[in-house]
Amino acid sequence: MSAAPEAHQNQSRLAFGLAVTALAEADPRVVAISADTLDLIGIRDMKARLPERVIEAGIAEQNAMGVASGLATTGMRPFVCGYAPFITARSMEQLRNDVAYANQRVVIGAAASGVVLGVSGGTHHALEDLAVLRSFPGMTVIVPADANQAWQATLATDDIDGPVYVRLGGRMLEPEVTPADALFRLGRADELRAGSDVTVIACGALVAPALAAAETLGEAGVSVRILNMATIKPLDREAVLAAAAETQGIVTAEEHHLTGGLGGAVAELLATTRPTAMRFVGMPDEFAVVGPTDKVREKYGMSAEGIVDACRDLLS
Amino acid sequence: MSSNRDALLKRLRDEAVMIRRGLWRAFHNGGSGHVGGSSSAADMLSALYFHHLRLRPAEPDWPDRDRFVLSKGHANGGLVAALARAGFFPEDELDTFYGFESLLGMHPDIKCPGVEMSTGGLGHGLSIGLGMALGARLQAKEFRTIVMLGDGELQEGSNWEAAMHAAHLRLAELTAIVDYNKVQQSDHVGTLLGLEPLADKWRAFGWEVREIDGHDMEQIIDALDALPFVAEKPSLLVAHTVKGKGVGFAEDTYTWHMNMVTDEVYAEALAELGEPS
Repeated sequence: MSAAPEAHQNQSRLAFGLAVTALAEADPRVVAISADTLDLIGIRDMKARLPERVIEAGIAEQNAMGVASGLATTGMRPFVCGYAPFITARSMEQLRNDVAYANQRVVIGAAASGVVLGVSGGTHHALEDLAVLRSFPGMTVIVPADANQAWQATLATDDIDGPVYVRLGGRMLEPEVTPADALFRLGRADELRAGSDVTVIACGALVAPALAAAETLGEAGVSVRILNMATIKPLDREAVLAAAAETQGIVTAEEHHLTGGLGGAVAELLATTRPTAMRFVGMPDEFAVVGPTDKVREKYGMSAEGIVDACRDLLS
Repeated sequence: MSSNRDALLKRLRDEAVMIRRGLWRAFHNGGSGHVGGSSSAADMLSALYFHHLRLRPAEPDWPDRDRFVLSKGHANGGLVAALARAGFFPEDELDTFYGFESLLGMHPDIKCPGVEMSTGGLGHGLSIGLGMALGARLQAKEFRTIVMLGDGELQEGSNWEAAMHAAHLRLAELTAIVDYNKVQQSDHVGTLLGLEPLADKWRAFGWEVREIDGHDMEQIIDALDALPFVAEKPSLLVAHTVKGKGVGFAEDTYTWHMNMVTDEVYAEALAELGEPS
């Protein structure tokens, strides 16, 4: 495995496309399936270099997902490249039946997740994908924290014998929170900051705000542990249980509805093993307003301030 | 030559009888079943499994095998009856239909030997078959892919996404058969949500289309032998069939899309189907 290339421009969606291209150059079985997403996922260059291995399915996500399953049955390694709101919701039955139920080796790269397409409105937000995808048996669910981790995680899917969902960002810079050469450890949380008072378990776009929140709280004398939980499924049980044992409580932070995502996964584990005080940072039970992504995130507390407030509330 | 053809036709007609007997056996065991759509497909399943498809029943995962996807998965009784006759598993397995932990459920299961894809949700098979055919092309393999679609199933829009895509790719490696029995769960297709002009729709989507009587074994094998119908286009075979074909009381009625199969009904069906001569 190699260090993430700077060409990813600190955008996880581009890192995914670059990694698929690198895998394709090394393995003739690798194909990308575009749903009119060549530039969204950054595979236009792959199409130029390996034209027969970029399958353009057009704006037809149901078909794209079924085609991927059929390809996988023949020994090919398909990577479906889509918009998170459409490649999950529109093709959900294909994803469940043809990919998960039939247990085919299909990797789905879902860009523009969460409220990345803030100004587009609720039709273009993906705030339920983690809840649904992680409920499918056999599905691996990955939420890289930045472009470096998206590169590493996408390369690492080569070793996963089953369906994989990789949740990606949009056309905006993502703060670098992992080293370019840090190997992806599937199912393992990375401790980005040690701490003993409270633990924040974050994923994706909420990892950087979690680190900022830890800084703020640290200045106030609160010691915050930060776990980057890049694999939602299978969940790193040991890291969660250790955090529950070693700190006073757990705050989860994700760009997703509060029902059923990372927070749900952590709560399900703790409720049956070690009941622990928790707070949840994420999208409440409503559709998000229209607006610039940072302002929408901020409105619903998916921000450093929101995480600070949740930690203080938990410790009060 | 002519006697060879006659022998082939007799064998395929005999196997069709055995497939129908097998599907009724399975449904009788289960207590109910999708008699209509399994029976309408039986003659084509015979031609596929005993003439057209290149398969190795003792080696079901042989990489170069032809692929058959039953997109109208509710006709699984017909499929498993054909697979059993072809030797993928013993015919006695048909008595496990619907059984606890059986691989023979109401709908095809990819874990069952000879089944290429778990289907049942309608409108999935054509995309899957497209992917298989594309897999053959990308790996320079010679295997062929055939997808059997239901007529009511064509009301699902995903079929038309796949139809457009296959034609755009000039995917002659892909064939679809529409089992056009004209009846769906609640009514005749034409009354419920009509498909006509069906052949013209597929032609407009870029497919090469032929229409046959899906119960005329000569027409079936002549069409299959002619695949692909033309170079650089996917082939579509519209097979005009009769829902429930072979047992009078079950023919051409939505009440036998799926129905209970009691001991009495089963005995009556077997008596009408008879045995291969």
